[in-house]
Amino acid sequence: MIFWEIAKRNLRIHLLRSTLAMLGIVIGVVAIASMGILGNTLVLSVSDSLHTVGDSVIVSPYTGGGSGFGQGGGGGGSANLKITDQQFQQIKRAVAPNIAIPVLQTADIMKLGVGSDTIVAPIYGLNPDDVPNIMKLKAGSYSRSDSGCLVGSTFATDHNVKIGSRISIGTDGDKGTLRVTGIIEERGISFDISTDSAIVVTQNWFETTYNRNDYDTVVVKVNQGVDSAIVKTTIEKQMNKRDKIVTVMDSKATLATIFSAFGAITTFVTAIGGISMIVAGVSIFNIMMMSVTERIKEIGIMRSIGTQKREVMSMFMFEAAILGTVGSLIGGVLSILAGYAISSLLLNTTKYLFVWSSAIPIVEGVCFGIIISLACGIYPAWKAANLSPIEALRHE
Amino acid sequence: MVFLREKEQEVTGPMDDQPVMLFRDVVKVYPLPAGDVTALDGVSFRVDRGEFISVMGPSGSGKSTLLNLMGCLDTPTSGDIFISGTRIGDMSDVELTNLRRDRIGFIFQYFNLFPLLNIIENVTFPMMLKSQKEVDPEKGKEVLRSVQLEDKLFTHTPTEVSGGQQQRVAIARALVNNPDILLCDEPTGNLDSKTGAGIMDLMTELNRKGTTIIMVTHDPHIAEYSKRTIRIADGRIVA
Repeated sequence: MIFWEIAKRNLRIHLLRSTLAMLGIVIGVVAIASMGILGNTLVLSVSDSLHTVGDSVIVSPYTGGGSGFGQGGGGGGSANLKITDQQFQQIKRAVAPNIAIPVLQTADIMKLGVGSDTIVAPIYGLNPDDVPNIMKLKAGSYSRSDSGCLVGSTFATDHNVKIGSRISIGTDGDKGTLRVTGIIEERGISFDISTDSAIVVTQNWFETTYNRNDYDTVVVKVNQGVDSAIVKTTIEKQMNKRDKIVTVMDSKATLATIFSAFGAITTFVTAIGGISMIVAGVSIFNIMMMSVTERIKEIGIMRSIGTQKREVMSMFMFEAAILGTVGSLIGGVLSILAGYAISSLLLNTTKYLFVWSSAIPIVEGVCFGIIISLACGIYPAWKAANLSPIEALRHE
Repeated sequence: MVFLREKEQEVTGPMDDQPVMLFRDVVKVYPLPAGDVTALDGVSFRVDRGEFISVMGPSGSGKSTLLNLMGCLDTPTSGDIFISGTRIGDMSDVELTNLRRDRIGFIFQYFNLFPLLNIIENVTFPMMLKSQKEVDPEKGKEVLRSVQLEDKLFTHTPTEVSGGQQQRVAIARALVNNPDILLCDEPTGNLDSKTGAGIMDLMTELNRKGTTIIMVTHDPHIAEYSKRTIRIADGRIVA
């Protein structure tokens, strides 16, 4: 159609002006899309770190309200902020067939070989049968013997610990010496137990050494296909009948809260990118108004020889559409590069860039760019179409 | 010249007795803050098919208002205007625009070609408005040849040809939709006398072939080309 052709030629004849207006849209799309990509990469990256604990329900003694130290033995072991074996058995029965894992936890002084510095690190006590359910090893083997232990990957790296290394626990090794049988795979941030900088010993060794017959937490590994929220409710109903004895945390729900927070952050930074798009829209509006003002006489001639208002309007809307579409598409392509740069600089990884969810902010950015351009073209186009042909013809 | 022959055949028909333009007691008042200004005060005249009329008058006499009304760019405050039997007073903007596109050909003093389009595109532009689709450029070329424009200029832009050639392109554009009336506003006002005479010869030739021409001018020499002159002063026809 002739009006499409006129729109194209007018943009071409004012190449610098058109390019600058388009550049605004390109920057706007890149800002929105790359911020979206960054947010998405962040969520995917954290999600990857947390997925190992995504199917856990963690039961801890209730620490708040009135069930503190002053309540004596009433209601069970919450008095000393531990979970008794009896309570553990109740939890285990309630959640079956999901696996309930009792966890003992402390921190102690330890020494790695003669002449080395004394350090303090967390110690977890777990039943050797439960260990494979909760963590994987990157080297060595699971320890069934009380004299063996596993170490976290960060612990192993920081203290140069290898399979077979010996760790003396307690002041001058008074609690015994353990031999490292395996190094635990990195688990990242986790809600149940954080083993990366810790050592894991057998439940038996822990109970004997620290004279314990209760647990710090119980981790319930929820089977696939089972809703963790239901498991959480089941435990609460079973344990907190009269008084609140335990606090139950559904890691999936917690994850959802975290992701929701990330989502809010992504939306916020994307909105900041959106401001640049608004500025780009103003620039489009500005050059469209300029275009109309420069071509008042031409519009008058068009109208006088039989061009309808809607046809004049379409001519200017085509200009806005070309600026918006070309600018947005260029911006879309560049935002992949910008997303790549930001991801590799801020997150040190680009492995989450080429996934479908990263394409969504690009599509959103491109669509927003086109919509803003069209919206900013409407008034100038309307103004052009509604000029009085007589006044327009008279215009010099 | 095929185009002109077609035009000649078209004007000889049963509608010949109906005026192509009829003004009946036309009044045009412009309401201004300082008070109403009566630009035309009871103007009546008729233009028959095949006439060549010049409209003359001093500055401020109402010539431009008359031209705007004849070109359906404006509507009268009172009175009636008929273009080929159609009353324009109650027409909507869309209807008036269609009337301008189909019945009236405009020729301006400053040619007013579209600088973004080449000569053949300028000429076929009104055809595209009418058909709402791509048109055969052959019809445009034919009309351009009929106004004695060389083929080699067809793909040039308006700024690449002379003033006289631009006015010939403007005439071709005005003729391309076979209008009932050719409305000219000082068609030689921006041309030297020799080129202007060439344009007037062309218009005389068009009129001889049957095209109805109304020409607004203040140049008595140019007005001599017409067969009838309407003189206007203070918003009234005086002769």
